[in-house]
Amino acid sequence: MTKTPDLIDALVEGTTPVRRLRPPLVRAALWLLLTAVVLVLIVTGHGLRPDIAERLRQPVFVLSMIAAITTGILAAVASFQISLPDRSRWWILLPAPALAVWLSTIGYGCLSDWVSVAPNENRIGETVRCFATLLLTSVPLSIAMLVMLRYAALLRPTESSAMSGLAIAAITAFSLSLVHDLDASLTILVWNLGVAILIAGLACLFGRRMFAWTASRLTSTPAKSSNRP
Amino acid sequence: MVASRHSRTPPLTLVIAPTAQDARRADGGCDWSKLMARAQDGDRDAYRMLLEDLVPYIRSIAGRCFKRPSDVEDAVQDVLMTVHMVRHAYDPNRPFGPWLLAIANRRIIDRLRRETRQRAREMALSTEHETFSDVPANLDQANFDEAALGEALERLPPEQRQAIEMLKLNEMSLREAAAASGRSIAALKVATHRAIKGLRKMLQNRSDRS
Repeated sequence: MTKTPDLIDALVEGTTPVRRLRPPLVRAALWLLLTAVVLVLIVTGHGLRPDIAERLRQPVFVLSMIAAITTGILAAVASFQISLPDRSRWWILLPAPALAVWLSTIGYGCLSDWVSVAPNENRIGETVRCFATLLLTSVPLSIAMLVMLRYAALLRPTESSAMSGLAIAAITAFSLSLVHDLDASLTILVWNLGVAILIAGLACLFGRRMFAWTASRLTSTPAKSSNRP
Repeated sequence: MVASRHSRTPPLTLVIAPTAQDARRADGGCDWSKLMARAQDGDRDAYRMLLEDLVPYIRSIAGRCFKRPSDVEDAVQDVLMTVHMVRHAYDPNRPFGPWLLAIANRRIIDRLRRETRQRAREMALSTEHETFSDVPANLDQANFDEAALGEALERLPPEQRQAIEMLKLNEMSLREAAAASGRSIAALKVATHRAIKGLRKMLQNRSDRS
């Protein structure tokens, strides 16, 4: 076993000037900028849903979209805040109001106007396109989040990955509703709540391990550089 | 052209570089925030001073959760390594204490959880699981040989036993043994030679009998 003074010698020997992290709000803004770029690319590539003008006149749809993107933004801010050890754990509640509004608008939409099958819905083709949008939105945002929060693997991996998962899920649901005409209530439920639960669940299950894996790839640990047995 | 370039030259300012010793508070303690800020800039003296100053504090926190000193020391080292790996995440404008305490608590909780998991699925083996059914295999061979040698030494003639005790057991030189016993060096050499021969013979007979 290495003695503590020897470990201090090794750490001091291996120290180099480090670049301080920017404030969490700035880092969250950078991630949201990337999100905006991804959304613009998807809208440019796929085009907005055909009935967007009609939909934007429906208050429930508009409220749902605003609540989804607000949930994404607030969850992203919360995940960058909570990844730092000296910030309060209560940041985890930041996206809760927006999340509640988002979920209640989806629920209200389903209860008030249940449409079991949309008249012009090509199920298989639309499902494949929805899945492509899902991957194109969530994968780059997840990778960016993992790299930006890799140090959280050592500090608060569970909370950080849960908040990151919620942010990515809400933004993915927003992107799906923006470009795909999800008319049937069941489809809306699946592609909004289903995706949100899937991504947030995966983040909770594997986020901790993924953060640890990313951190081990991107940071050199003193355990590797020193002679610690 | 040249004159205008010179006119833009900034005035020289004498800057005194801060040292690690400057990071002392009025009460004589170290200002951890300042030391960490300098460590982030690559100041090794400040970093060493900070880490050495942190050790007793972290040890006192770990001492409340672990009983064995080795566990406490492992926890201290774990916290120090985490501080090293996430030192870029510290903002010098914020207090250092809560930052360190949060890291220390996180590492200690992780270790306690790991210990609990290990205790739940691992069982310590006692020594009886490693012995054999054959009785001689369980005897301590070293003690057995030592006892036989002592017995054989007792049976040697007195002058031979004295030579072995002085030269082999007490590790005296021939000159010292000759002075102590009043015998010549040659006599001591002969006595030692005969004693070893006798011991070998007695131990050989004993092992043949058993």
